[in-house]
Amino acid sequence: MEKFDVTVIGSGPGGYPAAIRAAQLGASVAIIEKEEIGGTCLNWGCIPTKTLIASSELFHRMNHSAALGLSAGKAAFDYTAMSKRKDDVVGKLRSGVGTLLKGNGVKVFNGTGSFAGRNRIAVTGADGKEVVMIETGATIIATGSESTVPGFIPKDSRIVESKAFLALTKLPASLIVLGGGVIGCEFACMAAQLGSKVTVVEMLEDILITLDADVRRELRGSMEKQLGIRVLTGKPLEKIAAGKTVVSGMFGDEKVEAEMMIVAIGRRPVTAGLGLEKAGIEKNKAGFIPVDEYCRTSVATIYAIGDVNGGIQLAHAATSQGVTAAENILGRQRRKAEKLVPSCIFTSPEIGSVGLTEQAAKEKSLNIKVGKFSFAALGKAMASGEDRGFVKWVVDANTDQLLGAHAVGAHATELISEAATAIRAELTAEEIGRTVHCHPTFSEAWMEAAHAAHGACIHAAPRRKNI
Amino acid sequence: MAQILILPKLGQTMEEGAIIKWHKKEGDPVKKGDIVFEIETDKAALEVESFFEGTLLKIVVKEGITVPVNTPVGYVGTPGEKIPDAPPPVPKVEAPKQAAQKVEAKKADAGSPAVQSLSVPVAKAVPAAARVAEVPSRLFISPRAKALVKKCVINPFSIRGSGPDGRIVEKDVQAYLDAQGYGKLKISPAAKKLAAKEGLDILKIKGTGDAGRIMIHDVERAVAEKPKVMSKMRQVIARRLTESFMNIPHFYVSVSVDMTDLMVFRQELKNSGKSYTVTDFILEAVTLSILEFPVVNSYTDGVSVSLRNSVQLGMAVSVPEGLVVPVIRNAETLSMQEIHDVQQVLAGKAREGKLLPDEMTGSTFTVSNMGMLDVDNFNAIINPGESAILAVASTKPVPAVHGGQVKVRQIMKLTLSVDHRVVDGAVGAAFANSVKTKLEDIELWKSLT
Repeated sequence: MEKFDVTVIGSGPGGYPAAIRAAQLGASVAIIEKEEIGGTCLNWGCIPTKTLIASSELFHRMNHSAALGLSAGKAAFDYTAMSKRKDDVVGKLRSGVGTLLKGNGVKVFNGTGSFAGRNRIAVTGADGKEVVMIETGATIIATGSESTVPGFIPKDSRIVESKAFLALTKLPASLIVLGGGVIGCEFACMAAQLGSKVTVVEMLEDILITLDADVRRELRGSMEKQLGIRVLTGKPLEKIAAGKTVVSGMFGDEKVEAEMMIVAIGRRPVTAGLGLEKAGIEKNKAGFIPVDEYCRTSVATIYAIGDVNGGIQLAHAATSQGVTAAENILGRQRRKAEKLVPSCIFTSPEIGSVGLTEQAAKEKSLNIKVGKFSFAALGKAMASGEDRGFVKWVVDANTDQLLGAHAVGAHATELISEAATAIRAELTAEEIGRTVHCHPTFSEAWMEAAHAAHGACIHAAPRRKNI
Repeated sequence: MAQILILPKLGQTMEEGAIIKWHKKEGDPVKKGDIVFEIETDKAALEVESFFEGTLLKIVVKEGITVPVNTPVGYVGTPGEKIPDAPPPVPKVEAPKQAAQKVEAKKADAGSPAVQSLSVPVAKAVPAAARVAEVPSRLFISPRAKALVKKCVINPFSIRGSGPDGRIVEKDVQAYLDAQGYGKLKISPAAKKLAAKEGLDILKIKGTGDAGRIMIHDVERAVAEKPKVMSKMRQVIARRLTESFMNIPHFYVSVSVDMTDLMVFRQELKNSGKSYTVTDFILEAVTLSILEFPVVNSYTDGVSVSLRNSVQLGMAVSVPEGLVVPVIRNAETLSMQEIHDVQQVLAGKAREGKLLPDEMTGSTFTVSNMGMLDVDNFNAIINPGESAILAVASTKPVPAVHGGQVKVRQIMKLTLSVDHRVVDGAVGAAFANSVKTKLEDIELWKSLT
């Protein structure tokens, strides 16, 4: 029996920051990990995909840089080498996290954690034998989620989910992407940039349906026209079958075929084997562990953060919640989890989004104004040859408060952080408009768009007054 | 010739009313019997139907404005028709915002027409609304000081002026801000903007953001908590209850009524096709008891007492905006069936907001029935102009002694509130027991139904 103040189950982007924060606050901390330190994000998610996308993006630009007066000759890529670089980056980060945990005095247990009671957790190894029994004050469940592959999809080596796709050392010549969500669209763009023939199939009426229509239109147009991706929406892919050389399915009457298929239609929480019932923790119908505003489960000393609690499935949301949970356990003052979580999509072009969308405002019948500024009118974007896309503010018409921001285009994932800061601080469009932005930069677009919300944009032709 | 829509006089006591909503716009067709507008008096909100057919040509009295009865409020006719030039009588008051608050407060203070006939000695109570709108008529403040106050989103009325005649100058505002720790105040820009728009004082708002920063939701909470002027009906209720509770020395007496047999009898009646509510039995029992104890059906000003020789039975009915008390006229002359019928009609009208002011005045004794609200017991406040009120609680199965044994019986508590100046404890007790005895006497009900 080992005793700890705080035990964290899962060492992903939610779990390890929670462990470190708890240790910083003076607690004795254990962290239990059944696979690799760093979880999905570091090993099979954010980091490896962005490593590959860095290569595919540059390769794509090399092939399309004639307009910049450049010629890279006949550019080529080596997917095996790309994949190896990905493994190197992941390895380096993983050992970095390990060092941080060790440096903070967090004890790492390799194995599967399972509640034996409210404050007792058994850790078992891969062989099923108990490694150790932990007695803990508080517990943070950070077990994350895994790809859902429904039963109607045949089990075959040609049909993979994101984790298995990343293990490939050879890129398929053609690819069906099942699911037009964030993960699907990112893989589709990456593969297409490297010359793979890609078809995206989305059952809903459009890809990335929660985004505003103008943002979606910009991305979809680019995916179809610039990257040659076929985007099929509004119907499910039926009769999915895996043959010797191809995977196929029916989209309505049309047969869709490719060398491989990646399934990216959703993720489910990882709670199997956790022994939640032994601790008296409730799950909802979908299997997630519901929590209150402070990330507490139905058991007061047990917290759940990140994907497993059914909130926003993003690494940085998990990190924020993990730190909050650790502070709530050890701090004097309770803090609610942050509600404003920006999201970033590493497609080509990139998308960044935070806060209220125009369509959500419409559904809630809120009185809003919109300020939009196109990269086509931005000096730096033109100079860089990256003039597709725009940024947009959603503004409260009554108080001028910034409620939402959306960016699509080059560097959108970096640009969105300024917007998140502004919205969290409850700034007004007027103030962002008055904030001096460096010239020439992409960030200037936010300033211009804020002016646009007041109809006072400097670098856009005035709208014709209809009065 | 265009027809004139007037503000109708909907009761003997009605002198003026406020138009709270126009159901038609100018240019809308109007048919006979269409509801054209809604008015609010001290007593209730009422819908007004058109007696004319045509098009609503013009709205003269806009929503929110109070005018005397018989004032033209609009014109109905055929489009293009000429509307009389004569300007309508000047509306008594503009209603929006602060002005409305003052007006309503003043009106309520002037004594409601509802209690006119009873000449209750009215305590000069300041209605709550007046305090809400309480703004010094003039503030002596320099333009620079005023600008600073505006910029800081604070209320200048607690600032001490050091200028001539106590005029507030910029220096005073600055000193006030320093004393209040304004410099340490953190507020998000959007929150400040909203506070300014809503006319709030940010020094009065508690921040819940990081390090006590005032965030938009803090201001939204303050906006939601901002004092709002109560409806006219609510103000009248408030004033009359205060007046009664402060001037009448209340005395209470409670009895438990065994309703078991009556409930069985009522069911039997129902099965034979005669439906009565529990309220009907209570009203009848009260009416009969009043005839035995006329003093509970009186009114005193502390010097003289007037004993009424008829029973004007008020019944309190809760409605969404408050409480109304329709009156069953001359209850002592009505049969049980008639009481039932009148009661049903009045209660229905009350719930639909269709009671006329005249149907709510002149009660001499009131019954307040909370039986349907699952309460064990409560004390009611005497209606001004009366000397007693009977509070009826829920009928509940409880262990009770019956025939020398403890049994589960259907027990209902009655609490009588009396004006102790005119009704003594013994009389109150006897009256309450009289009602109790009647309700428990099935032979009586057999003869009455």
